[in-house]
Amino acid sequence: MEATREIYWNIGASAIIPMYIMATLSLTYLAKGIYDHLKLLKLGKAPLDRDNRLLFRAFYTAKQVLFQTKVRMKKTMGGLHSMFMWGFVVLTIGTGLIFIQADILDPLFGITFLKGTFYKIYSIALDIAGALAILMVLGLAVRRYIAPPKGLPSTAGDLAALTLLFLILGTGYLIEGFRIAVTELKQNPDLASFSPFGLWIAEIFYPYGEATLRELHVNTWWLHMTLVMGFFMMIPHTKLKHLILVPINIFNADLGPKGKLVAIDLEDESKETFGAATLADFTWKDVLDSESCLSCMRCQDLCPAWNTEKPLSPMKIIQGIQTQALENPHGNIIDSLGKDAIWSCTTCLACQSICPAEIEHVPKIVEMRRHLVLMEGEFPGEEVAQAMDQMEVNFNPLGSPFASRGDWAKDLQSKLSAPADADILYFAGCYGSFDARNQKVAKNFITLCHAAGVKVAILDKKEKCCGEPARKMGNEYLYQTLATENIEAIQNTGAKKVVTTCPHCYDTISKSYPDLGLEIEVEHYATYLNKLLQSGSLKINREGLNATYHDSCYLGRYNGEYDGARSILSEAGIETKEMKASHESSLCCGGGGGRIMAEEKLGTRINQKRANMAADTGAEVLISNCPFCLTMFEDGIKGANLEESLQAQDLSEILIQRLTKEEA
Amino acid sequence: MKILVCIKQVPDMESKFKVSGDGVTIEETDLAFRINEYDEYAIEQAVQTKEKNEGSELVVACLGADRASEAIKKALAMGCDRAIHIVDNESQTKDSFQVASLLKSAVSEENFDLIFTGMQSQDRGSAQVGILLAEMLGIDSVSTIVSFELSGDEVAVKRELEGGIKGLVKVKLPALLTCQLGLNKPRYPTLPNIMKAKKKPVDKMEVASLAAVENVLTVKNLHPPAKKGQALYLEGDVNDIADKLIAELKAKTAVLS
Repeated sequence: MEATREIYWNIGASAIIPMYIMATLSLTYLAKGIYDHLKLLKLGKAPLDRDNRLLFRAFYTAKQVLFQTKVRMKKTMGGLHSMFMWGFVVLTIGTGLIFIQADILDPLFGITFLKGTFYKIYSIALDIAGALAILMVLGLAVRRYIAPPKGLPSTAGDLAALTLLFLILGTGYLIEGFRIAVTELKQNPDLASFSPFGLWIAEIFYPYGEATLRELHVNTWWLHMTLVMGFFMMIPHTKLKHLILVPINIFNADLGPKGKLVAIDLEDESKETFGAATLADFTWKDVLDSESCLSCMRCQDLCPAWNTEKPLSPMKIIQGIQTQALENPHGNIIDSLGKDAIWSCTTCLACQSICPAEIEHVPKIVEMRRHLVLMEGEFPGEEVAQAMDQMEVNFNPLGSPFASRGDWAKDLQSKLSAPADADILYFAGCYGSFDARNQKVAKNFITLCHAAGVKVAILDKKEKCCGEPARKMGNEYLYQTLATENIEAIQNTGAKKVVTTCPHCYDTISKSYPDLGLEIEVEHYATYLNKLLQSGSLKINREGLNATYHDSCYLGRYNGEYDGARSILSEAGIETKEMKASHESSLCCGGGGGRIMAEEKLGTRINQKRANMAADTGAEVLISNCPFCLTMFEDGIKGANLEESLQAQDLSEILIQRLTKEEA
Repeated sequence: MKILVCIKQVPDMESKFKVSGDGVTIEETDLAFRINEYDEYAIEQAVQTKEKNEGSELVVACLGADRASEAIKKALAMGCDRAIHIVDNESQTKDSFQVASLLKSAVSEENFDLIFTGMQSQDRGSAQVGILLAEMLGIDSVSTIVSFELSGDEVAVKRELEGGIKGLVKVKLPALLTCQLGLNKPRYPTLPNIMKAKKKPVDKMEVASLAAVENVLTVKNLHPPAKKGQALYLEGDVNDIADKLIAELKAKTAVLS
């Protein structure tokens, strides 16, 4: 006997038309519901071009959806979600194949394909997929109602969705079991064994006899169909909407460069408002982002502000935008979200990097900051206003005289070259130039380059703040003013390559200066020095150290450079201990997003939290690659009373200690 | 109402100051410049007054080198309507009397109702220009104001006196007020206002075109304060330090005699 089954067995042809009417109605309702969601996108009026690289976008979306790459960045839950999704994908494909055979190919062309070996594979695949899905539904229920993670918001919709999914899967098995009991259990036990779970149910119900089973079968079938239609109709009203909205959002994702902000066109004289204060100031993608959030809390769990009791949760920012769209679409969004939340962000990008829905949190926060600064002249505190003022007058946030910017290099003149003869132009940055602790880093870098035979030039007092802290605080005008002047100074040197010791300078000069006309190779010193070590130009002694390494946000998450510094440390003979948050999930030092200029008045201190994390590894030295990190850790170690056991050092200090004597 | 605010562009006080070869002026090459802090209070008060009195016109006047156009731009971005720039690349050599006279000849025909200036400049600190200008214009003036209230043609201001005491002074318009720290919090110019400021009229007059007067004050010599003694570091253990301290105090002071 050929392995197959009669489609619509026991249901009868008369059921098909009512079933399709129900399906059409419920799917129309679903489409209308999704349309209502997408209609909100019109609220975002700022221009945004995501209409490019469509093929790449399609592949990227397929990859993210099918392989769940970002979903699985969260280890356990991500894996379970993938299995859940795959279970449903298999079930949906199975149903689709039935539709194709029973309603298209068979009636029109007399073609059937659900038979033989293919049918056996089909049968067992669907049976296992269904069981997997039931298991995952139960697992999700346990997570939500028995052992929920801290702060998990639960709605009536969540309960309804889980219950419905469970009932749909359950009735599906019952239908299968009833059918197998009547048609396969005795007649074709070999085929029945390809539906192990259906077989199990068939065995339980077999004793009821064919008539009862047929009666149960047809009724359960209608119940199952009704539930499925209910499921369609529920999608727009519960988080199930993510099945449709998240793939759309991923398709429209920011394709990079990662974390790069959109520059405001300051030449455009028709522009009278800047930044975002209402939904109209945002883009359609910002609204789509808010529609795509399903409260998984991954962003919030990694947020340095949220984890130090500050009034910012990236998830709540996104959901606040959705609430605004539904309840008060023309109102002031900054008032609804709260200025303290907006100012608390360190732009560390942890939220955005982990978000499986490709929601872009940071640019929204910066847009609102832009409004506060550029339209209202507001800052998070007087100290920030003063730092901005200093950037305008002395071109650095520290308030040191601009003319003494190059003074740190006074004793190193013999190791410096004129820009025209130099291999690289070293952009020291404000902290490297003026902050006593970080001047050592700048000097070390020159010494290391000299030892490696690299000719280095500096801009001296022609260098200005790269503008990054001002920009992330919302002051785009000041950023562009400083950037334009730096670009002119860099271009005048004729330099071919810029190296920085600050990842904020690096990220800004490499990604954002091109918008203003500078195209030049830029490297962060971790990458650069690693190359010098690997090529053998730079020679160091190996000497072990009990240390841990901190991934700065702007070298790590923003630029994906995790290995350069680790490779340097390994060359230096150091086997670092990893902190519990490292690489993509590293915790910010607290100094990003212009927060280096601001006092941290709310909640607990981020730098102390990070210092404690470092101390927890048992390491004696916390190695970083960023002047803000170094500054924050020097303070954080003192504040957390770890001075006796932990020391903050820059990567360059590790190298300089290991440089052979005569070269140092 | 016609309002005037007089401002000066001064070196940032953190700058590296060097005396020029002439021995009486400061080398400008490595200086960063900004609006005199007290003048920012004056601008803010003037802008607030303009905003509260519809139909008012607010003019900013500045005597200074070409570089002072940056300060003027900021004043316009903060809310001034137009500017008078007395271009003088030798402004450093002019004393308060001459500056006030030049300002007077530039603005006297406009008959301002209310004039604000800073209490003093951060670089010279003479606190003279505002008061002299009022005298030359023949109007009343109040110095060092820390509060301001305008009703009708009368202004009520609090002025800072010594020992933490404040005096309440009422004065009829036209009047000139010099502004002190604590009067207000100067605003940060918004970007739309910075953009608009670029198109606001700036009336540039060459200093030579104005009636000339002589300095009444002559700078003979400019130098950093002479070194007076220095800190003494006592080192060693506590007993040694105590002995050394007693010896020093006996030798150099009268406290132990």
